[in-house]
Amino acid sequence: MSDHGCIHLNNFKAAKGIQPYKVIHSYFVTSTSTEARVRKAVSCLCHTCKTYKDRLHSCLHCIFFGCYSKGHIQEHAKTKKHFLAVDLCYGNILCFQCGDYVYDRELTAVAKSQWSQSARSLSLGEFYRAWEPTQVEADLLRKNPRRRRIVENSTIGLRGLINLGSTCFMNCIVQALIHTPLLRDYFLADRHHCPQPSRCLVCEVSHLFQEFYSGNKAPLTLHKLLHLIWTHARHLAGYEQQDAHEFFIATLDVLHRHCEAAPILVKDNPHHCNCIIDQIFTGGLQSDVVCQACNGVSTTIDPFWDISLDLGPTAGASGPDSSGPPTSLLDCLERFTRAEHLGSSAKIKCSNCQTYQESTKQLTMKQLPIVASFHLKRFEHSSIQDKKISTFIAFPEQLDMTPFMSHKRNGNNNTTIDSFPKNGEDTAFGDNRYSLFAVINHEGSLETGHYTAFIRQQRDQWFKCDDHLITRAKLKDVLTSEGYLLFYHKQILEYGKNSKV
Amino acid sequence: MKSAPHQRLVMVGDRDALKELLRLRLVECGWRDQVKIICKDLIKENGQDIAYDTLLSTVTSRARSLVPDSVKKELLQKIKNHLMAQEESLKS
Repeated sequence: MSDHGCIHLNNFKAAKGIQPYKVIHSYFVTSTSTEARVRKAVSCLCHTCKTYKDRLHSCLHCIFFGCYSKGHIQEHAKTKKHFLAVDLCYGNILCFQCGDYVYDRELTAVAKSQWSQSARSLSLGEFYRAWEPTQVEADLLRKNPRRRRIVENSTIGLRGLINLGSTCFMNCIVQALIHTPLLRDYFLADRHHCPQPSRCLVCEVSHLFQEFYSGNKAPLTLHKLLHLIWTHARHLAGYEQQDAHEFFIATLDVLHRHCEAAPILVKDNPHHCNCIIDQIFTGGLQSDVVCQACNGVSTTIDPFWDISLDLGPTAGASGPDSSGPPTSLLDCLERFTRAEHLGSSAKIKCSNCQTYQESTKQLTMKQLPIVASFHLKRFEHSSIQDKKISTFIAFPEQLDMTPFMSHKRNGNNNTTIDSFPKNGEDTAFGDNRYSLFAVINHEGSLETGHYTAFIRQQRDQWFKCDDHLITRAKLKDVLTSEGYLLFYHKQILEYGKNSKV
Repeated sequence: MKSAPHQRLVMVGDRDALKELLRLRLVECGWRDQVKIICKDLIKENGQDIAYDTLLSTVTSRARSLVPDSVKKELLQKIKNHLMAQEESLKS
């Protein structure tokens, strides 16, 4: 297979241009419109044997379709001396004089743009395409020929972190961030370009990724990171132990703010940031408040970075919905997304009937983030006493978030359940499965505690990170640990989804 | 498949959607990478001038056997659903 076209194709292009290929491709290969699909359905049959399969090709010179498997396109080429044909399944060009398929950059570009057009006409977002290096990237790969193959027992990406005096809260969050697959891909692909690197937390994290993946095994000291957090999130400055959850949120916030120094804003909504932190961690939480008098619904959608889950018995529970404390993550999520009666003391003015009424409120997931972070509220602070709830909460390795989505969970949505999707809008494309990749634990009591992290370094390979100590762990150890912060990563990333919403 | 139902699948865009779903599933389960490695090895063995047809005849049966049953099942079920929906709409 030639990778730079062939003389026969070049001669053809010089005489007739790229128009013949364009037309064949847009009608019979990709079908960029409904009309094209109808034409394709009706006329894509072998002119000799009438089959629609068996590697159908179209002659590039005249109007002729022929199958390859039974030799009908070959026959046509020979008798008519039409030596170029287009494969109708993939759009590749077959040159009978060279005796093989040939690539051509110009025609490949045409094909690419028509695939996108076709995906849009079917409202499928964007078709999947494998990554191809740009010219710059290809040059870099050639200049740096050393490759590292990741094998099952490789310890790549693992590095201990020195405790600087009660900084285990920071160490465990850094371990979780470093082992967030998509964040790792972003930083190792060198995607952060910064206007002021010296004061930027994103640059520091970028630098940390280099350190973690350098192959050096000596533990790292995060003094610069700590100093940057102290400067940019003043409430965390000081030498005492901090809450790992608070640190996590503060870190995301600072990272998000520093990303904004080089903003990528979404066209339709100038307030919606599209920085890497938002792309990975931000979801949309839908809140539906239903007026009990007129059944009017007022819906708001708010962004979230994590979901904080109550572990105590349902507060003020009465009626059929009351239940004991939750015992699993799924219990917690079920409770979190349950319609809750706001009670007579919390009357809200209904936007529909304009009167103060009792209402119910329900939270559901409108849009899921790529990384779903759950915070089990184990620390209870009240005026009487602060205490830690150490009850066992089971959490799964694989989590399907579908039951907690707005369209599944609440009856106020007007989407109909349609077993047969229309015109390519396939429900199978919405996949909400997640896998666990990091768990942060708090060991000990409220006064004297220590944070450790379990991280998944690669598929089925778990490690426990206890400051400078890294030890291999079993999945069972992870799943039976207490769990304070749970991090799940989406299993399947929808291609080009961002451009659609 | 007879050609009339196939034509209708093409016409409404279902064939493209199913094809895209299949492509996604094959990427997700690692099939695409597996087949890519097989092809790469063959090209290394035979030199880069190996003809497409030679490559195809060597790789096809191996590639086919590597497709996970779950993927085949899902696709079969989906195709069946689409065809049944077609039949329904023709009746009414």
